Amino acid sequence: MSDSDPDADGGPSVFARVVAPFVDRSVAERLVISVAAIFLSILVGFALVLVSGRIAECSTAAWTMPFTGLGFCYNPFEVYVVLFNGALGYPFAVGDPGLFNPGWTPFNLSFGLTLSETTLLIFTGLSVAVAFRAGLFNIGTQGQLVVGALATALTVLALAPLLPAGPVAGLVLIVVGTAAGAVGGGLWGAIPGALKAYADANEVITTIMLNFVAANVAYVLVLEVFRAEGSSVVATRYVPEYAQFPSVLFPASTDFALIALLVGVAFIGGLYYFVEHTSFGYDLRTSGVQAAAAEYGGVNAKLTTVRAMTLSGALGGVGGSVWVLMSEGRWMASVPDLGFDGITVSILAGNNPIGVLPAAFLFGVLKGGALEIGFRTDVPTELVAVLRGLIILFVAMPEFFRMVGRYTGVAGGPGGAGGASGASGSGSADPDESAGGDGGEADA
Amino acid sequence: MRNPLSPASLLEGASESSYVRSLVVGTVGVLAVLGVLGLAFPESLAGDLAGIVFSTSTATSTARLAAPIVLAGLGGIFAEKSGVINIGLEGLLIISAFASVYAASIVGVGNAVLGVPALALAFLAGIAASTFLAAVFAVVCIEFKADQIIAGLAVWLIALGLAPFMSTVFFGGVNTPNLGARVGWQYSATMVVLATLGSWWLLNRTAFGKHLRAAGENPKALDTVGVSVSKVRYAGVLLSGVLSGVGGSALALSIGQFVGAGETMVQGKGFIAIVAYLFGNYNPVGTLGAGALFAGLDAVQIRLQQLGYAVPDTLVQTIPYVVVIVVLALVGRTQIPEAAGEHYETEE
Repeated sequence: MSDSDPDADGGPSVFARVVAPFVDRSVAERLVISVAAIFLSILVGFALVLVSGRIAECSTAAWTMPFTGLGFCYNPFEVYVVLFNGALGYPFAVGDPGLFNPGWTPFNLSFGLTLSETTLLIFTGLSVAVAFRAGLFNIGTQGQLVVGALATALTVLALAPLLPAGPVAGLVLIVVGTAAGAVGGGLWGAIPGALKAYADANEVITTIMLNFVAANVAYVLVLEVFRAEGSSVVATRYVPEYAQFPSVLFPASTDFALIALLVGVAFIGGLYYFVEHTSFGYDLRTSGVQAAAAEYGGVNAKLTTVRAMTLSGALGGVGGSVWVLMSEGRWMASVPDLGFDGITVSILAGNNPIGVLPAAFLFGVLKGGALEIGFRTDVPTELVAVLRGLIILFVAMPEFFRMVGRYTGVAGGPGGAGGASGASGSGSADPDESAGGDGGEADA
Repeated sequence: MRNPLSPASLLEGASESSYVRSLVVGTVGVLAVLGVLGLAFPESLAGDLAGIVFSTSTATSTARLAAPIVLAGLGGIFAEKSGVINIGLEGLLIISAFASVYAASIVGVGNAVLGVPALALAFLAGIAASTFLAAVFAVVCIEFKADQIIAGLAVWLIALGLAPFMSTVFFGGVNTPNLGARVGWQYSATMVVLATLGSWWLLNRTAFGKHLRAAGENPKALDTVGVSVSKVRYAGVLLSGVLSGVGGSALALSIGQFVGAGETMVQGKGFIAIVAYLFGNYNPVGTLGAGALFAGLDAVQIRLQQLGYAVPDTLVQTIPYVVVIVVLALVGRTQIPEAAGEHYETEE
């Protein structure tokens, strides 16, 4: 790895040097590591459920371990079956004859909720990814989303009375509201960008602090000024029904709009083109990999930093807009952890915009499945938050998987870590590994 | 590559101390102005503010609130000086806060095991949990060469999920019931002062301190004289676990409860701790000062609300975070150890 080179002196910040190898890794290897990390987290989560099921107190055991007769309060198999099957709306008939549930359609409530989470995570994932490509660690997507969401809600609420109700006004309000969200989030993101560029303040710390500031200030603004009359929670009024993304095909209670997902996919394509094929995208990537070299090559590194953080914040802000206009219909104080989940999505995707789509879907499944775990089992839904942390931890340690690959032989590869529990997933990834895995990383 | 023990570095040390001195003078100056204003206009906001700032209840809650910030900050110094940036201090505080309350509830407040009172055991449990998580972080960073920032973030997020998860498993909700036991502010203050002095001594007066600094500044030199860089770095990270464990336990046991809702009861104190040691320029005494400053702000806002100033409490709670941002913008680049964030390969 280049960052172990003790002579790589001066020039780029420690941060850029830390981030560089992460951005640089070959796509195939990243894919294998991501898949292996997911399986390893599921394995650790399995052990966690098992252990806590032994410690917790309950009247009847949910699961008895074969041969030992030990009773457990939680059934670790059931948890994952409910998690993945439930997130898709139970397409698989577990325990019944036949593999598939004949009554299943893709347009069910649970799958809609999963896709709704996926849609939101696409935006926050892209937000983190674009900053990462510029060598910046934006932990502030959460705050940018909060600000963007509030900007959207207030803009739409202010403009709605000026326009005649109807689909045309709805379209205008959605477009203007989303633009307001992008501006709000973008400005909020520009603050740590400018602090980083002109005052050399570490963006990791400033963005984390700005998350707290955004949450608190937005809360107070809504509590004191914009609170809906008679509302028991701190929330704005609802935006008009026609100004929300319509739930076509899926039940309205899913809070999911196919069109929003399509917009998200379009954003992925647009951002991919932007990062890979435009001159600003080139500036962004070079300053992410080698800030000094970029500066030498005529890139205004400071300006690039501010722009990258603004773009990242704008994407987080759009995520907030979609949250308001698709999920909640208003701004409310209990904003979900979409920004933090976006970090996991981006890291899982290797900070590649294209990779954000499967990563966001996987995380949508975890979030959608968490709801099902809450309904159907006694296991605390916080399990999914633990899995989120574990996935990040494992993705961050590629060397571990390389070691495992080395010890188990080339055939097992890095995927071998999770191979025992998930032959199907790592099986498909193994050919990729042999193509771009160990060979390219001989310097490690 | 700079030799940490060269005259140039010593000069830098002197400028560091002048920086700390200006910090101290500035703080004392602000307090003095406030005191004078308060005496001159006792009926005004300045009067109330002065009353608050110099009241004993503010001092005690400052001591209580400073403990997690200063102790985690001291831990952060050891980790970062050794070359491992530990951004997961927040996670260490969260996990130790929960573990200490859990242990206290198991033993039962007021009971003792083998003559050790429950609260002492609670502290030990908190330290054990935090040190264990720090050890995982150390292995991941040193053995498996993980990206330190991302791994530290993972430590935070794991604790952020795990503590409420365990709380739900054991107590049926993300918040534990209040055990009714309180660790007095005197104990927090004593621990903070002792840890600060101890850290200063360890860093500046022992061979271990020299090795620690060398591991962060010039690992190759340390390797050349035959000291294992990995071992020193492990020690640095584990120390950050121990100190954060004390801090997290002190935070939870000062209230007698673990609150796991939202960002948990730690509420970013681990990140404020990072800023505290950056602000204190890796000097334990400076870290104590910065930590006391941030905690004092928090304590003053709590008192302001109790006096009925119509300031929304959430807005006042935002002040420490804003101060952190402003401070970071003014301080800018700190004397980050040369090799911090980098892996070191032993040359065979």
